Amino acid sequence: MTDSKYFTTTKKGEIFELKSELQSEKREKKKEAVKKVIASMTVGKDVSALFPDVVNCIQTDNLELKKLVYLYLMNYAKSQPDMAILAVNTFVKDCEDSNPLIRALAVRTMGCIRVDKIIDYLCQPLRNCLKDEDPYVRKTAAVCVAKLYDINAQLVEDQGFLDLLRDMLSDSNPMVVANAVAAISEILESSPTAQQVLEMNASTINKLLTALNECTEWGQVFILDAISNYTPKDDKEAQSICERVTPRLAHANAAVVLSAVKVIMKFMEMLDATSEYVLTLVKKLAPPLVTLLSAEAEIQYVALRNINLIVQKRSDILKNEMKVFFVKYNDPIYVKLEKLDIMIRLTSQANIAQVLAELKEYATEVDVDFVRKSVRAIGRCAIKVEPAAEKCVSTLLDLIQTKVNYVVQEAIVVIKDIFRKYPNKYESIIATLCENLDTLDEPEARASMIWIIGEYAERIDNADELLESFLEGFQDENSQVQLQLLTAIVKLFLKRPTDTQELVQQVLSLATQDSDNPDLRDRGYIYWRLLSTDPAAAKEVVLAEKPLISEETDLIEPTLLDELICHISSLASVYHKPPNSFVEGRQGGLRRVLPPKSSSYRKHTRR
Amino acid sequence: MGGIWSYFSGLFGTKERRILILGLDGAGKTTILYRLQVGEVVTTIPTIGFNVETVQFKNLKFQVWDLGGQTSIRPYWRCYYSNTDAIIYVVDSMDRERMGISKQELFSMLEEDELRKAVLVIFANKQDIEGAMTPSEVANALGLTAIKHKYQIFKTSAIKGEGLNEAMEWTANTLTQQK
Repeated sequence: MTDSKYFTTTKKGEIFELKSELQSEKREKKKEAVKKVIASMTVGKDVSALFPDVVNCIQTDNLELKKLVYLYLMNYAKSQPDMAILAVNTFVKDCEDSNPLIRALAVRTMGCIRVDKIIDYLCQPLRNCLKDEDPYVRKTAAVCVAKLYDINAQLVEDQGFLDLLRDMLSDSNPMVVANAVAAISEILESSPTAQQVLEMNASTINKLLTALNECTEWGQVFILDAISNYTPKDDKEAQSICERVTPRLAHANAAVVLSAVKVIMKFMEMLDATSEYVLTLVKKLAPPLVTLLSAEAEIQYVALRNINLIVQKRSDILKNEMKVFFVKYNDPIYVKLEKLDIMIRLTSQANIAQVLAELKEYATEVDVDFVRKSVRAIGRCAIKVEPAAEKCVSTLLDLIQTKVNYVVQEAIVVIKDIFRKYPNKYESIIATLCENLDTLDEPEARASMIWIIGEYAERIDNADELLESFLEGFQDENSQVQLQLLTAIVKLFLKRPTDTQELVQQVLSLATQDSDNPDLRDRGYIYWRLLSTDPAAAKEVVLAEKPLISEETDLIEPTLLDELICHISSLASVYHKPPNSFVEGRQGGLRRVLPPKSSSYRKHTRR
Repeated sequence: MGGIWSYFSGLFGTKERRILILGLDGAGKTTILYRLQVGEVVTTIPTIGFNVETVQFKNLKFQVWDLGGQTSIRPYWRCYYSNTDAIIYVVDSMDRERMGISKQELFSMLEEDELRKAVLVIFANKQDIEGAMTPSEVANALGLTAIKHKYQIFKTSAIKGEGLNEAMEWTANTLTQQK
């Protein structure tokens, strides 16, 4: 006997058994069989071979069985596009069923079946459901339009579904309005051509605001997001929308709150910043944002990322709420880091003492990333709040005394920035810094230390020895350190030309002859030529007065910030990136911009 | 003998007989189905897919499948062949042009092994319209004499409800006698 026996089996297999059970005349047995099929489907077995048999069970008055078959259809219609046509007649019939649950079920399933061949047949049932007497059916049908648009935009436009959808914004039922808005927003996102049909105007916005108070929380999110994309015609309209949206700030759902914040942040741009109304509005925005920070850590994080943007746009909103951003010992690390960032943005003369005490505490924690960021934060506070700079510097010195390697290194990096911000003020600490020279192993810290030595060479007696010690391992250094070392030695030479000639020649030859790095070579040649042709000019160039560094180095660029404000409560606001940078197919999409400032009597033309 | 059997099966018979209604598009299949089920003429649209209804005739229960007749759906007729007791093949007696296609579909269907025991009932439908082909003309056009299955042709009008009862009577009797 050949080995082929292993491939033949007497058992007909599970699929065969299911097939015969599906054809059974007993209703109960049939239902059991469909349940088995669904069970196999959900665990990932391929039961697509049973397609016609399962679809044949679709016409039943048993709602449970019907739901199961519809579930199967959604899953497999795509893999059996030709046979999906067998289900069409049932959809048509079910969309006319006397039970609204069945009508809605049918129209929902229709939307989920992404088979191009059958959508032509589904237009008429969909049209009927859009005009159904039952709101549950209408709201389900509204979403179906958006799904259909994704498969075949032209068909939806030709069939006039967009007009029907727009008319649904005036529906008497708030849930229908909310779903119509959701569908419209989705369509507009993928296709700007639908704009002319679906553009909102003052009267539709008014209807949305009416529905806002009555629909479910998720419906409110859809409506608020849609409102935020509208540009009011003047500041009066903007103010009246803000007034009607403000109560949503008290909602228990974080998504509703953030969406409401988005609308207000956007429309506040149009209002007179000094008006009484804006001042009270700013006061109203703080409590809901603070409340978000008592939710779960994940929600806190999302809230914090959004607050980070809000604070950069309008720091006055949360200026008195510093305490809620203090780190708790049991916060997850991602929350801690984000809170720290916001703390620095909110630091001012009024609260610096408190902040500094906190930061000093944080710098002794165990998590390395967090400690590093805390040390940096102290430096940033010094730069931001001048009267507190001295206190910050002494705090940093205390930390250096701990001799914890990474704390020392971070401290040196920020002290370099402090020197640049306040020249000729804190140089007395250089001696302490020099004591820790040997422990520095990170390029950024080494480069910072070398910069300090070069910059203040005239005050450090053994500067030449210190720099020479770095020079020994020149080839192995990071390019950042090599560049700093080159510059520092040239500075030293210009300040003390008599006894450092040898050193400068050594570094110039290392940089120009033994290095592969073009930046380093170029810089070496420039110094060489400057020094050999005109030492006085070299002095003017190398030892030139440096501009003071600015307070905040990590602010988001203003146009990007404005765009991100328009995307509050979305992934973009968490990533701090515009949507088209991480969503495929959005390149052609509209960039959102804040509305222009306006005055009551000047009318603005809309985009 | 048959009478007694049907009496018992009427008492105890829970088994539904399975009937397929086939034919080209626009022949009147769906109209016939609902005429049989509810006894009324309903407005129909082309059936893309199928309808299935349970029809009570005398003391017999039929599970009647009405399959769409469009060219695109005909290939899937075979998904419904197994366990079929009877086939109602509906012909539009006005549609002289497509009699050939109708014949082709009929014969290719009858070749199927799963249908070899099925009884064939042909409805020469739309007899209410003037100028319709007579049943014998239809029989000729379809070449019924070449058929090996047990069959009968009836003159019907689904709209007026004529001929349907006779046809069902014959089908019911033939099916009960077979057992």
